[in-house]
Amino acid sequence: MSRVSFDCTMQEGQIGEELRGQLAVALQEITQDVLGESPDDVPVTFSDIPEGYGFRGGEPSTTSLVRGSIVGGVTQEVREDFMRRICDRWMEISGCTVDELVVSARDA
Amino acid sequence: MPYYRCVVPKDSVPYEQRAKVAKAFTDIHCGNTGAPRSFVHVVFDEADDRWETPYFLDGGNRAGRSEEVKAELLSDLMGAFREITGVASEDFSGRITEGPAKWTMEGGMVLPEPGEETEEWYSHGQAAAGG
Repeated sequence: MSRVSFDCTMQEGQIGEELRGQLAVALQEITQDVLGESPDDVPVTFSDIPEGYGFRGGEPSTTSLVRGSIVGGVTQEVREDFMRRICDRWMEISGCTVDELVVSARDA
Repeated sequence: MPYYRCVVPKDSVPYEQRAKVAKAFTDIHCGNTGAPRSFVHVVFDEADDRWETPYFLDGGNRAGRSEEVKAELLSDLMGAFREITGVASEDFSGRITEGPAKWTMEGGMVLPEPGEETEEWYSHGQAAAGG
């Protein structure tokens, strides 16, 4: 069983297929750098919310959610570093703004 | 980040009702908790999940609020959903689960614990809502 995994949910049409591979590799690299897990042991899944089915603040949403499940016991300092690196790389690759991204790193 | 996932049967809730529910949930959550509107996420999922009722509200919030606030919040949300969609009480159930705020980063900031929100955090939430 993987000690770290990601479930990424995007609004339909926001992030094309060609970028998803890059995003998955980025998540696996950050996991290796920060948590020491082998990239091969870090599954990443993507799913789309159909247009008209996702809202934020009562309006149609353009937000992506990156839900990480990580091995417990890390310090908050490490957790924050992990989430911040993910934010930075996700914005760099996808072109989204900081307000269009939610990242979580929950204890498995 | 309050995240409200409404599990519904396929093609059962039209867009107009989904939009109304999303607005109502945002109003209710912000009215009960004081959170910025931009932090409230509402998603409709026609997944084939197996819940005890055909319609199900699966909410996720920051931990740390009183039982009274949580119960009132869930009751108000479910009431609004039923009123807007016309779904019968026996066909709709729900829950709100909680997790530590510090496990989530939104708008580039780690979420504060309930009651520990700063002016900076509120300001950022307002800016995000306007952008």
